[in-house]
Amino acid sequence: MNDETFLNEQVDVVAVFRPGRTMCEPIRFRRKNGQDITITKIGLRHPVAHGKRMLHMFDVTDGCADYRLEFDAERLTWRLTIEADRL
Amino acid sequence: MMDAYNSAKPSVMHIDLNSCFATVEQQARPMLRGRPVAIVNRRIENTSIITCSYEAKACGVTLGMSIKEARRLCPDLVWLESDPPKYKYVYHQLMRIMNDYSAHVRMKSIDEGIIDFSETTQEIAQRNLVDIGHEIKQRLWTEVGEAMNCNVGIGTNRFLAKTAAGLRKPNGLDVITVQNLRQVYEALKLTDLTGIAGRMEKRLNAVGIFTPLQFLDADETVLRKIVFKSVDGSYWYRRLRGWEVDKRDFPLKSAGRQYVLDGYRMPKEKVLQRLHHLCEETGAKVRSKGMVARGVMVYVRTYDYGGWHAKTMAPLPFFSNEAIYAQANKLFAAAPEGIKMIAVSCYGLQPADAHIAQLSLFGDDIAKERALTSAVDDINSRYGKRVIHSADTLGTDFYVKERIPFGSTRYMG
Repeated sequence: MNDETFLNEQVDVVAVFRPGRTMCEPIRFRRKNGQDITITKIGLRHPVAHGKRMLHMFDVTDGCADYRLEFDAERLTWRLTIEADRL
Repeated sequence: MMDAYNSAKPSVMHIDLNSCFATVEQQARPMLRGRPVAIVNRRIENTSIITCSYEAKACGVTLGMSIKEARRLCPDLVWLESDPPKYKYVYHQLMRIMNDYSAHVRMKSIDEGIIDFSETTQEIAQRNLVDIGHEIKQRLWTEVGEAMNCNVGIGTNRFLAKTAAGLRKPNGLDVITVQNLRQVYEALKLTDLTGIAGRMEKRLNAVGIFTPLQFLDADETVLRKIVFKSVDGSYWYRRLRGWEVDKRDFPLKSAGRQYVLDGYRMPKEKVLQRLHHLCEETGAKVRSKGMVARGVMVYVRTYDYGGWHAKTMAPLPFFSNEAIYAQANKLFAAAPEGIKMIAVSCYGLQPADAHIAQLSLFGDDIAKERALTSAVDDINSRYGKRVIHSADTLGTDFYVKERIPFGSTRYMG
């Protein structure tokens, strides 16, 4: 089984910036279709450099599916790029 | 006195992340935890598994097995394409944690490293290494993620530390000292020792050595003159007794990249495009280390498992992608049909500074080539890899993706 869906969807995100493992914690996001997703766990946050431009990848879950949110630190935008394992 | 066992206090710690890539994926995606996961380099059924989770291993899935075969053994297997940036991040986190304990940290590959405590601070030197090992495990959980596990091995040399790290997987912590050395060897097979595989095992068997204990008790002269026929025999004699013989750094002699073609019986012009892409990546690797090359080698593996290679040595050092490709292209003209895998490497590497001294002798052309290459490298480092590349390799990024280098960590940034 391998049910990753690759997306490039701009999303509205509520995030908390505080000291901790990831420093920035997305806690909730709203998809284009109006669906609100509450993040229950952040799996991993890792940076990816595109030249000098830095993207931060947040692999998160709401308990029903895994998601990847990309935060562009230069343009300050959030995108949903992967949805996987929807129950 | 190298005949005796090394009875010093163990001061080398080997840390090995368990099923690294699969565990990182399970850390990143909580819904994968507890499920069989396999990591592949390409999303096709015939591809080989490069690593798998312990849940997959429990179903009989092994490294190198094709996805098709693995799914027969484990129908629920989740197979994912490798995600190098994620693994590089974890590698850097592990290295950061290890560097807190000693200035002498050497990463052996993307998922394992060594801490040498022999020259650390007094404060660290006073602590028990077993406690430090447990602390590193704890820090990995809190600073990287709760799904991350590692094996820790402690010994008097790198070999024993690595052997100790492999004794109990996953998440073990073992110490090999002069007191338990024979007991540890008694429980192992010859091929459990790092560096002893099929061919070496046969050579040892030929002189009546069938177990690690027999290997340990073998005469140094027999090992040096009959089994290894070199000084390696003496190294093994000392290594097995806990003396350090592996604390060596090897200079960079070559750099390259290989690629398994994305199509069956691909036309040669398409193979050439991919070869050109590999040359561009190889050139970037060479220049990133401040080196220039003297030779180019092209290697090809065909569907009948035959290997073919050709190489050429240039009279003057070169560094640009175009110079590498021009030579590789010429060599490739003689390559056989039915190609499955291609590889390019530059060898005879030397520091670029020495090359600059020769520039004045060979005029403006080399200086212009150098300025152009350097400008392109600057733009690519500012705006992202391969923002500027040859028109010939347009679109090849989709196929020739970044891969995790096994073994060397020279290009991990």
